[in-house]
Amino acid sequence: MHRTLSHVFHEAKEGVLHNAHLTHSSSRGSMSATERKSIAEQEKQFVAHFSDQHEPLPPEEVQQDPRNKELGRSSRALSVKDFELVRTLGTGTFARVWLVKLANPAPEDKDKVFALKVLRKVEVIKLKQVDHVNHERQVLADVAGHPFITTLITSFSDHDSLYMLLDYCPGGEVFSYLRKAKRFDERTARFYAAEIVLILEFLHEREGVAYRDLKPENLLLDAEGHIKLVDFGFAKRLGNSKPPSFLRRRSFRRKKSGDSEEENCTDCNSGETYTLCGTPEYLAPEVIQSKGHTTAVDWWALGILIYEFLTGYPPFWNQNPIEIYKQIVSKPVHFPNEPQISEEAKDIIRQFCTVDRSKRLGNISGGAQRVKDHPFFKGVKWEDVYYRKHKGPILPPVRYPGDAQCFDMYPDEKEGRELYSDDLRRKWDDHFKDF
Amino acid sequence: MSLPSAYLKEIESLNREVLKTAPTDILQFCANYFNRRLESERAQFLLSATKDPKMSGSTFPGRLGTNANPFGDGTSAGKEQMSSGTISKVVEEEENDTITSPTTPSFAFTKGGSSTFGGPFGGDASGDGPPSSFKPTSSEGFPAHYGMGRRTSVSAESLNPTASSNDNWSPPFHSKSEDQIARLKKSISGNFLFSHLDDEQSAQVLGALVEKPIPAKGIKVITQGDQGDFFYVVEKGSFDVYVNPAGSLQPGMDGLGSKVATIEPGGSFGELALMYNAPRAATVMSAEAGCTLWALDRITFRRILMDSTFQRRRLYESFLEEVPLLSTLTRYERSKIADALETQKFPAGTTIIKEGDAGEAFYLLESGEAEAYKAGTQHPVKQYKKGDYFGELALLNDAPRAASVVSKTEVKVATLGKDGFQRLLGPVESIMRRTKYEGVEEVDPLHKK
Repeated sequence: MHRTLSHVFHEAKEGVLHNAHLTHSSSRGSMSATERKSIAEQEKQFVAHFSDQHEPLPPEEVQQDPRNKELGRSSRALSVKDFELVRTLGTGTFARVWLVKLANPAPEDKDKVFALKVLRKVEVIKLKQVDHVNHERQVLADVAGHPFITTLITSFSDHDSLYMLLDYCPGGEVFSYLRKAKRFDERTARFYAAEIVLILEFLHEREGVAYRDLKPENLLLDAEGHIKLVDFGFAKRLGNSKPPSFLRRRSFRRKKSGDSEEENCTDCNSGETYTLCGTPEYLAPEVIQSKGHTTAVDWWALGILIYEFLTGYPPFWNQNPIEIYKQIVSKPVHFPNEPQISEEAKDIIRQFCTVDRSKRLGNISGGAQRVKDHPFFKGVKWEDVYYRKHKGPILPPVRYPGDAQCFDMYPDEKEGRELYSDDLRRKWDDHFKDF
Repeated sequence: MSLPSAYLKEIESLNREVLKTAPTDILQFCANYFNRRLESERAQFLLSATKDPKMSGSTFPGRLGTNANPFGDGTSAGKEQMSSGTISKVVEEEENDTITSPTTPSFAFTKGGSSTFGGPFGGDASGDGPPSSFKPTSSEGFPAHYGMGRRTSVSAESLNPTASSNDNWSPPFHSKSEDQIARLKKSISGNFLFSHLDDEQSAQVLGALVEKPIPAKGIKVITQGDQGDFFYVVEKGSFDVYVNPAGSLQPGMDGLGSKVATIEPGGSFGELALMYNAPRAATVMSAEAGCTLWALDRITFRRILMDSTFQRRRLYESFLEEVPLLSTLTRYERSKIADALETQKFPAGTTIIKEGDAGEAFYLLESGEAEAYKAGTQHPVKQYKKGDYFGELALLNDAPRAASVVSKTEVKVATLGKDGFQRLLGPVESIMRRTKYEGVEEVDPLHKK
């Protein structure tokens, strides 16, 4: 049952969609239909073959100037019509991720599949997530190419939606495997934790980005059983890295008056941020207490994550979120008698889940290197981890490239959603111009 | 080590089947048997999931589809309730373990073939149980009622520190009597959202609380299931708390649900609204006429905290920039130090550091004045004012303090110990080596000649 995306999104608005798409940015406005078509063909070629190279790039090459990098660029001519919907992979309040194929593909590209994240502008505005979706696109573009982070291939927009085309990760969520298996053994937990350490090292120390929503639900497995971190909706550049020169220039960019954005000259460089976001069980104490938070929140969350890997549930839990928060700010992590957890694992969890940030592993001197040197990771060859020398402990049952059996099924979108009115468009469309 | 009881139960019943049927192809028979078992067991599970969608999830406020972020949000409210509900139900049943745990050596999902996911339940389009619907198979070791469903992300509005933006926001101020202030202070002092505030933040928050008269009995101040923006403290009168197990206020006589508590003067409710916009977990209604509440909204609360933290951080960073010993620190390193600085207050005439003592911490003078004295001299050898620093040589070595520093007025200092400094940035010596630290002797009387 394959439908095209445009059917799903705009049954009644075909014509409007097409026109709006062509005029949505100045570069597109000046394009003739023939030009657009030929650029779209080139872009489709790029999309179809982006993953042909399999060896991961070294971190310093991932971190090149996004302007010189092909991955993650905003598309000039692609639209939803260039893709064919297969099924939903995940849903959120204002976004839905589809498994897609190329529409009218070349014969050799007909098995190529992607994940297309569709965000509805009207919902993004209503839920006050405009800043967050812009950060998400920007950060994903900057980090595109990292072996353990979902790859933003390109992005585009039309009258009422924003689109991010991502690589498809057929293994589904680590969450699903964890709940099914109840808990992971230390070898499995260490394998995933090691890949996450490399992600955090890259995000924090190279990119100056805090991720802010680490949890098993946001970790997917690729066909070889390696981690892909997805959902950068809360990721934010804090400007505290040792960035290459282009990033430094950008972060000093003057803020335009009238921007409602958190992102601006001062804050971007301040190293800390103030918006409370994340997932209750994984929130760091400084986030709960609004003390201003830094990349240190991700190390706290990694401690919670390893705990949940090993026991099957997070250390601080209650049906009432307020009770979770009270525990997080005041209680040390307690370990159950069953299952038995090694001293090394307990120690690294305690060191991550330290309320005092001047004592929290990952945040203290040495940064990620100190984490890598911890006895919990004894014997881990970090080069091998980065270059994916070993297959993962769980190999997803993927039968063919577009197999989506590892993902849950989601109901269809509800009818009668709110429309992106002309009023909203006049007020907000400028905020979406980066897509 | 003994075998799991669920396994033994499975094997026992397989034994009975084998005895009954006496099959010729044992392997095929067993394979078929387990396939059937799996199918019927999963079907039962899915059935129970759809029949009884609201077991326990509804008691989890704040998770039902608020400001969630796109992918992580995963499911709608109903779905979350469904999965957590069924999981907690399953806990009571003795179920059979059909999926090996990864702690056993045989744990592996093979690629392609008929793995755990294969067979009748691997279907892509059939709407069969996805991996995460497979349940954990025993409750042992798990907290009671632990919700096994996907967890929704939460997010507050993104705010911009006033000092870094163009607007001139200042917190609202509603004057209160001393009695009222004292009562309010007492009410919020034990609350984890307020207990860590400093005096200024606390004063601003107390000033921002606005009086809200509730003239009649039976007025709903907050309604279960509604979006919440305010936190309340009871000044006068009493309020009843109702929870409807359905998760929101329902129409009709019993729509309120059952009364679970009464809040008296000094009590408070709705604190989650100070963190992010989440559905209210209960309905709170005035229990008598002539009640009074104090109200505080999330944006005001968060801005007060953010602005004061932001300003203090920038202040510390600018102070740190002036310390020659720390001049080689990068902006990032300074921000880490600023993050770790602790504020202390001393009344006038306090000896903050004492000549001859071992130096353990360094100080930035945030407000007030202080003076340095050396033994044997009558007059201060140095004056300190806002933005000055002292005791920084303690970061370098263990030499005793070369002078005493005494507060002249009430002072506020920001301080960091040698331990904290080294934890964050490593040994000071290596930082010193980046460039020669010159001119200390002339400017700092604490340096022993």
